[in-house]
Amino acid sequence: MAKVVIIGGGWAGVAAAVTAKKSGADVMILERMDILLGLGNVGGIMRNNGRYTAAEENSLLGAKELFEVTDQASRHVNIEFPGHKHANLYDVCKVEPMVRKLLQEMCIDLQFKSRVVDVEVEDQRIVSIVLQDGTKIKADVFIETTGSTGPMGNCLKYGNGCSMCILRCPSFGPRVSITSKAGIKDDIGKRKDGTYGAFSGSCKLNKDSLSEEIVKKLNETGVVLLPVPKEEINMKKLDMKVCQQYALKEFAENIVLLDTGHAKLMAPFYPLDKLRKFKGLENARYEDPYAGGVGNSIRYLSIAPRDNKMQVNGLKNLFCAGEKSGLFVGHTEAIVTGSLAGHNSVRFIKGIPLLELPINTCIGDLISYEREQRKTEEGLRTRYTFAGADYFKRMKDLDLYTTDTGKIKKRIEKMNLLNIYEEKII
Amino acid sequence: MSDKDHICVDMGSEYCPCYLAEMKECIMCNHLQGKELCDCNWQGICIYQEFYWNGQKRKDIRKTVEGKIIEKKVIQENYVLFKVKVDVDLALKLKHPGSYIFIRHIEKPYFFDTPMSIMDVDEKNGEIQFVVQILGPKTKDILSCENKIFIRAPYWNGVIGLKKLKETKEKKVLLIGKGVGLAPAILAIKYLLKNKNHITFVIDPGKIGVDFINEYIKDFKIEPIEISLRNQKGVDILISLLKENYDLIYSLGSDKLHKIVKAEIEDTSKFVCTNNSSMCCGEGICGACTCKTKSGQLVRMCKMQVKAEEILEEGK
Repeated sequence: MAKVVIIGGGWAGVAAAVTAKKSGADVMILERMDILLGLGNVGGIMRNNGRYTAAEENSLLGAKELFEVTDQASRHVNIEFPGHKHANLYDVCKVEPMVRKLLQEMCIDLQFKSRVVDVEVEDQRIVSIVLQDGTKIKADVFIETTGSTGPMGNCLKYGNGCSMCILRCPSFGPRVSITSKAGIKDDIGKRKDGTYGAFSGSCKLNKDSLSEEIVKKLNETGVVLLPVPKEEINMKKLDMKVCQQYALKEFAENIVLLDTGHAKLMAPFYPLDKLRKFKGLENARYEDPYAGGVGNSIRYLSIAPRDNKMQVNGLKNLFCAGEKSGLFVGHTEAIVTGSLAGHNSVRFIKGIPLLELPINTCIGDLISYEREQRKTEEGLRTRYTFAGADYFKRMKDLDLYTTDTGKIKKRIEKMNLLNIYEEKII
Repeated sequence: MSDKDHICVDMGSEYCPCYLAEMKECIMCNHLQGKELCDCNWQGICIYQEFYWNGQKRKDIRKTVEGKIIEKKVIQENYVLFKVKVDVDLALKLKHPGSYIFIRHIEKPYFFDTPMSIMDVDEKNGEIQFVVQILGPKTKDILSCENKIFIRAPYWNGVIGLKKLKETKEKKVLLIGKGVGLAPAILAIKYLLKNKNHITFVIDPGKIGVDFINEYIKDFKIEPIEISLRNQKGVDILISLLKENYDLIYSLGSDKLHKIVKAEIEDTSKFVCTNNSSMCCGEGICGACTCKTKSGQLVRMCKMQVKAEEILEEGK
């Protein structure tokens, strides 16, 4: 039977598994940790701004399962916060078991504590991948969704050191770039000042450590804004974070808290002594990263060169998705690229032409635009997300952004792509 | 493709990071080689993190200490057994298979430091034992050491294939030792017995004889098989043993012995051997122990773990 092996069980890997399975392949996910979703366990923001369009597009293309889960797991639906409209916030404490159940029901083989450390390549083809314990796994096609964050040495060199984030490198071993092991040169994202990588953009506070008043407001509305004292406002901090969609003035002038089960603090890190000066945060403590007072994980250190079908350049049977496949930000971006990679991996096995999503879909345009932009120095210093910053502006300019599902459906139908991910290929 | 069999034996110890990290020549860490991104094979510690939190400096280096000679026994002409008292803490660090030290006459300068395998350790009383073969300028004076001897330690890379030896549990093990190479067998036997292995011990007495080693192994309830590789009968016995199904085969002796043993083994991944490189500084700096592997890579044998076959086939 046609076998697809996915390396990395984050949102991108999970999405690739879903579409590859639906296309008829035998699918295995190798995850180095003991849980799925990786950084998705500390995220939660869905459907804000252009992500709404992308989520609807992906569902209409035939991969709605994961968006159904995140919608179902949402603590808050259709809320607003500075610069962002119609956001859903999923409960980070509930979503992983729900996704795991979905994958198990789909008979996707989930292998935990299975860290891939090497590859065996022959004639530009990955023959097998090697796990830490020396086990070799063969497959017809591989999808790399290992992300681009960490490990410890990188977070130290390009950040403020290991901040003990959810990725837990010391416990489960570090991320290994499969492309790099196969001899492909990864691209590295940069900050505005040219230094490598970028800080993850938010930390999470333990809700039980916040005042009753703040918790009540978070539970009811999903959002709390606390004004930063004038002398503490630091606009420069906005440049260092990955999430350029949240690099807005309002985020420098206010502490923005969102309710994702934890209180998501929209700053890469915030010194605890300063944080505790805010009314209601006197007893605040970090939930993720544990050392959110000093730093956060560093991302974009290994981006695979790829084409618009998510196939890695220079290797015949490796696809990529999520942050591994571009300077993307967010779960939605991971899911939509993952869905395409999973689907195309099975087309590849079957030997039929791979699917390239047209640029009059926002997913197709994001994938193609990022690939073009990344070739330039400025492009390496930019992030690409449906949720804001430059790309959301582009979506609006190109009339790709809409919350009208009927309109999106017509668009997908016109291109003859409705439910294409549902088709069994083999 | 990376080779995860190349591991620094000092990694994660109190001596790591070392001078090599300061020189951007670390064996394990990409950042401490001056490269841009992480690419280590992860043995549970981040050396770069250790380096950073140590103020971008190496850790303190091993010191030369004075050991008190408790016993000095001439076994044969040119073979002397020493029992030396050291700190309990140091003795404890020398109890693992492959442990070695540098010894020196207390009136001689540092370049007389000569590497010596540890034979046995009594960690409770802080006593270590080793056998010196008087060979050249570095060892000739050792015989005249009376009460004290300089010791620089601990070092650990005396076995090529250490990981394989350490992870062998409840298996069949064959040890083949010859001459003074029999000395490091004691630490290995202790370790292998602790892991409930069944040991067959083949001894070629060489010039040193068997009496010294028999003293130690009589408590282990191992029946040694004594042979001489100088005659065909001995070689035949060894070959027939090597054809048996052992899970680990440990050769203790010269490179010549290693080659004889290895030539008879089908699955060389079972093969481990004593490290006979000419150690000098022990810190991966001086280059005296540098060997070339099969793939052409230069390795510093005083602290790098490599596959035995890589060294024996192409090594100097």
